[in-house]
Amino acid sequence: MPVVHMCTIVPISMTVGANRIVPTVAIPYPLGNPNLTPADEKELRRKLVRKGLEALTTEIHGQTVFKD
Amino acid sequence: MRLEVGNIFIKDVQFGKKTEVKSGVLYVNKDELCKVAGEDERVKSVEVFLARPGESVRIIPVKDVVEPRVKVEGPGGILPGFMTGVEQVGSGRTHVLKGAAVVTTGKIVGFQEGIIDMKGTGAEYTPFSRTNNVVVKVEPIDSLKQHEHEVVVRLAGFRAATYLGLAGKEATPDEVKTYETKPLFEQSMKYTHLPKVAYVYMLQTQGLLHNTYYYGVDVKEIVPTFMYPTEAFDGAIASGNCVSACDKNPTYVHQNSPVIEDLYAQHGKTINFLGCIITNENVTLMDKERSSNMTAKLVEFLGADAVIISEEGFGNPDADLVMNCNKIEKKGIRTVLITDEYAGQDGGSQSLADSTPLGDACVTAGNANQVVTLPKMDTVIGYPEVANVIAGGWNGSLQADGSIVTEIQVITGATNELGFHYLTAKTV
Repeated sequence: MPVVHMCTIVPISMTVGANRIVPTVAIPYPLGNPNLTPADEKELRRKLVRKGLEALTTEIHGQTVFKD
Repeated sequence: MRLEVGNIFIKDVQFGKKTEVKSGVLYVNKDELCKVAGEDERVKSVEVFLARPGESVRIIPVKDVVEPRVKVEGPGGILPGFMTGVEQVGSGRTHVLKGAAVVTTGKIVGFQEGIIDMKGTGAEYTPFSRTNNVVVKVEPIDSLKQHEHEVVVRLAGFRAATYLGLAGKEATPDEVKTYETKPLFEQSMKYTHLPKVAYVYMLQTQGLLHNTYYYGVDVKEIVPTFMYPTEAFDGAIASGNCVSACDKNPTYVHQNSPVIEDLYAQHGKTINFLGCIITNENVTLMDKERSSNMTAKLVEFLGADAVIISEEGFGNPDADLVMNCNKIEKKGIRTVLITDEYAGQDGGSQSLADSTPLGDACVTAGNANQVVTLPKMDTVIGYPEVANVIAGGWNGSLQADGSIVTEIQVITGATNELGFHYLTAKTV
């Protein structure tokens, strides 16, 4: 079963052995950003979730970080 | 930069008519201290208690511990950026009420503050069971938000310590220690036969109850910078953090940084101690990358042969520690790391969130997940029920008889990563 690890500190994700890694925003708000307007923040969330789904369905050969 | 630190040994603290030091006893005018600590329109009430070593007293939740110090010669004052201006500190002469401490408490700000027991099992784990504590319990006005609440209590503690420190201004110290670091080129040439060692001083900087300040500046906003080691002794680094209190540095620990003390003790004997680089532990990957890149650059710039790196906290700061280690080692400069461990209550789990084969010299300050039972105390200053919510405790930590079953994570300073504690290990 494929798993995507969405996290801020990618090196930790690498160390613990995650295969599909999607970098996120910050430790206190990985999937949000309080500095944005609510509308922009919602778009940010959608973008990250879309990125997560894309990672989930991408074939990989070893640890992969899905950058922008 | 040369600093004389005059220690005035305090063996007891008592309330008295006048705040003064007489024959090793710190007398505290309670009303005056309450007034000074409460000089902030956001303070609703201040109460002051005394807690001495061996007394059956628990202080909960503890926010900060501050040592009373006073500048008697030279520029600036203690706790620059807060209690005085921002003049350069770390030179001249400073007097210390050694053996006394201000401990701040009051209703909980977040869910992550500490415990100090003056007796029993808990007392063995916190270094502040051995100080004569002036406990300042500060309650803010009702409408205050969390962030302001934290500021109000922190500043009240600083004011209290500054007020008590003044009692040492005219006193004759029982001992005077001298610390000196020359400007870099001069220092480098001084002990050419000895390895040049720098200290990478990592500071917790992740938001509410996780902040640290340098001359009043929030350290999350800085890029890593050089610091003369003696600046720390004058309170240039001040704590605004106590989350998972076992491995956060109260202001007192920065004022007494044992890493700096030990490096000075070897200075000119086995090493040439060049100075400190202070850096942060921020919440985004880009910040962590930038700060570790800059730290490694500054270490190289100093021309160090080796560095000590101390972490503050655990979890994602382990990534900062590992980045600092990797990047400095890859420049051919040896590192020794100081951290603590979260290895689970049975000690069997991975200790750190991140790791590196280059970190082959590492000092541990203990396993914060170790479970202990803190016996009931006759007196509790503060709010015992928060034992059920602060980090390291759980719902049910506070027992019906007043004892607390908890991880040592809740105990202020129990696994202090500057080594300011009493845990030891022996081979059996």
